[in-house]
Amino acid sequence: MHVYIYDSFLNQKKYDNILAKLETRLTDLGLNGKIFRLGIMKNIREIVIDELKRGATTIIAVGNNKTVNQVVNSLSGFNVPLGIIPIDNQENNSIATSLGIDNEQIACEILSARRITRIDLGLASNRYFLATAAITCQETILEISKNYSIEIIGPGEIKLINLPINQRLLLTKEKSNPQDGTLELVIKTATTKRLFNKQFNQSIFSVNKILIRNKKFPILLDGTIPIAPPAEIRVIKQKLKVIVGRNRRF
Amino acid sequence: MFNKTVSGTDSKEFETIIGPSVKVKGDFHGVGNITVEGTVEGSLKTNGNLNIGQKAKVTADVEAKAAKIGGEIRGNVKIKEYLEITSTAKVVGDIEAASLSVERGAILNGKCAMTAATDDKKIIRPKAEN
Repeated sequence: MHVYIYDSFLNQKKYDNILAKLETRLTDLGLNGKIFRLGIMKNIREIVIDELKRGATTIIAVGNNKTVNQVVNSLSGFNVPLGIIPIDNQENNSIATSLGIDNEQIACEILSARRITRIDLGLASNRYFLATAAITCQETILEISKNYSIEIIGPGEIKLINLPINQRLLLTKEKSNPQDGTLELVIKTATTKRLFNKQFNQSIFSVNKILIRNKKFPILLDGTIPIAPPAEIRVIKQKLKVIVGRNRRF
Repeated sequence: MFNKTVSGTDSKEFETIIGPSVKVKGDFHGVGNITVEGTVEGSLKTNGNLNIGQKAKVTADVEAKAAKIGGEIRGNVKIKEYLEITSTAKVVGDIEAASLSVERGAILNGKCAMTAATDDKKIIRPKAEN
C-alpha cells in the first residue's frame, strides 16, 4: 500500500489542477493509496508509524526538497522505501532531479517501475540530510579528525555533498557518489573582489566525519532546513531505500 | 583554477584538492591522488600521486607513490616510484625516490638517495640434477 504525504504548500489553489492529473495517473497505474496533507497540527513521524503498522509498503513525498528532507527524517529506523513526486520548480526539486525524477509525470512511471536502490544519508547532530549540508566560511572552524584541522582564508562557502545535485559544484572529473560511504567536503572561496566575472578556488576532501563550529551562522541541510552549530556531521552508509529513475546522476 | 597534470592511478578514490585559500594543519593521510595548491603543516602521506602546485607551501614530511613538485617543501620527501621536480620547486630536506627528474632552476638543499623500485622479483633457482 502506498502512502502519499503532500506538503502544506500544495493546499494552494494553483496546484489543484496538477494534483488532480497526478492522482488520475496514479490510479491508472494502480498506485493509488492513502493521502495525507501536512499542516501545522500534523506530525509526519506519527503518520508514518501509524501507516506502517497498517501495512504501508512505500512512503511517497509529494512536494519539494524540504518535503523530502522531512519525510526522510520521519522514516528513520524503518526499512521502507521512499518515493518522490516533485511539484514546484526544478530549483526546489534538485534532489528529485538528481535521483532521475524530473517532473511529476515521470515520477508516476518511476514509481510504477519501482527501481529501488540504497543510498547513504548524512547525519548532522540528530537530523538526516540526503543531498548537502552547507555553511559560510566566515568564522567557521572545521575539525576533520583528531589528526588534522582545516583553516580557511577568505570568504566563501563550505558544502558537504552526499548526493550530487549540481555537478558544477565539483571541478574534478569524479562525481560525488551517494553509495560510496563518504561525504565530499567542498570549500569554495572567491579569488577576486569583482562583482562580475568572479573566480573561485575550490578544495575537495573526502570525509566520513567532521565537526563544524560557528557561533553566528547556521548549517543549511538540503538547502532548506537550518541547524545550529556546533554539529558533528557523518555519513551513514546505505541507510535509505529510495525509488530512483534511470537518469539518476550516480 | 588548477593545473591538473598528475596522471591518475587506477584507484577509484576521490581526488583530494587542497586549494590556495586552505591551510591544513596536522597529519594528513589521504587515500588516492592529492593536489596541493595551499598550505600544509605537519605530515602529508598518500598511496597515490601527489602534485604540489607552484604556489603551495608544505612544511611537512611527504610520502607518496609518485609526485610532481612545483612549489615549496620544507621536510623530507619519500617517493616509491617517480619524482619530478620542476623549475619552480624549492625543496629543503632529504629526498628519496626510485626515479628522479629535476628541471633547471629547481632549488634542492638536502641529501638525495635513489632507492630500488618496489616491484617484487621472482628468484628462479635451477633444479638440482640427480
